[in-house]
Amino acid sequence: MSAPVFITAASISAELHQAMMEARGLALTAKNARALAVRAGSRTVGFRAITDFIEELASAIIQQSQAINNDAEHLSNQAVSAWRSDMANERFHWVRAQNSTHADSISGRILACEQRSGSLNQELQHGLRRLIDQLEESRKHIRTANLIATSSHVEASSAGDFRGQLEVIADNIRETAERIGGHLNRANALLSQNHRERKAAC
Amino acid sequence: MLATVLYEQDDHRWIMFGRDANKPDGIIDTNQYLIQSGNQAILLDPGGIELFAPMLSAVLKYVPAEQITHLFASHQDPDIISSLGLWDQALPKAELYSPWLWESFIRHFGMESIRFRAIPDEGMTIQVGHTQLQFIPAHYLHSSGNFHVWDAKAGILMSGDVGAAMEPTDAPLWVDNMERHAPKMKKFHQRWMPSNDAKLDWIRRVRQLNVKVMAPQHGRLFKQPQVGEFLDWFETLPVGIAIK
Repeated sequence: MSAPVFITAASISAELHQAMMEARGLALTAKNARALAVRAGSRTVGFRAITDFIEELASAIIQQSQAINNDAEHLSNQAVSAWRSDMANERFHWVRAQNSTHADSISGRILACEQRSGSLNQELQHGLRRLIDQLEESRKHIRTANLIATSSHVEASSAGDFRGQLEVIADNIRETAERIGGHLNRANALLSQNHRERKAAC
Repeated sequence: MLATVLYEQDDHRWIMFGRDANKPDGIIDTNQYLIQSGNQAILLDPGGIELFAPMLSAVLKYVPAEQITHLFASHQDPDIISSLGLWDQALPKAELYSPWLWESFIRHFGMESIRFRAIPDEGMTIQVGHTQLQFIPAHYLHSSGNFHVWDAKAGILMSGDVGAAMEPTDAPLWVDNMERHAPKMKKFHQRWMPSNDAKLDWIRRVRQLNVKVMAPQHGRLFKQPQVGEFLDWFETLPVGIAIK
């Protein structure tokens, strides 16, 4: 059985928060790389150009992570409302089945609750679909980061005395991209499982 | 859940709900009260979330949902009002009367539709149907913002935690012998009630009322002469004993 959506969404939000922190580290790496490239002079012109890409990439990942984080939090709140509404509805049905003298007087509330649950659950379904798309978009950034890491290694190899330091930076980019990718994969796995099980339950 | 009519005169009724043998283990047994008058009703301390369904079912035996127009929470404890989020969906047009002090805390239980009506420290009087009900200050007994409900026409005082005793769900409904009952209340009152001054002030004010029935939120209820005997016993009981 899958975790309730509000837990899945909160867990996704937490993963994306971690991804965002890593992306901030990537932005710092880009700044260090730029400073080093300036010191290294004409031998690292290619590397200097790459640092612009790294900064842009870091900024894009941060923005995307923030957006997904916000969406996931909103989704978690909606899921709590849906859960509450479902819980109330379940109890109302139990109460009506007891055939109390005035049990029918809650029929209107049952209908209102079912409508609210239906609309909230539909919104949740759309929200989950949107999160899947956003995560897929973020994964494209990771593929770009890996390409940049490879190019950085190539440029570092012609940087003479600065080769070692620039290689460290290139490795740093690759490792950070891997860690961000790990957070996105975990978020995606949580989401896909929940989405599959919700669809199967419908 | 057991339902007992405590008072009935024309369309004015007091019903006590409690002694739920099917309640989940480990949660404290509570007494809930419904006062009906004309086509309006108020639920007093409607109870915890675990009791919501049996409580609603029991209440609907007496009154249709749309006539439950008022709720009252004597204070903020979960056994008093943690069901609020569900009542909020059952009675979206109702008003909740509760101490002003606890509004921002009680809202944590979930309240989107029900309107919060803050009771000022000095208390207030409201009209439910044809009946006037008085919210009587009972601060520090035990909660720092706390009220009891006085219905002068019925002569019933809903006394919250004052007079409470922890007993099995099959315990009798009424106190018949104060001497035997007092030990069951002693520790509860001494440990939960923090202030002797607050206690004496409350006793002084309650003695001025003509209380026929005292109805606490846990345990047995009191009729005369046990009400008077309780006040005498409570007067001499030192409270706030956790401070050595």
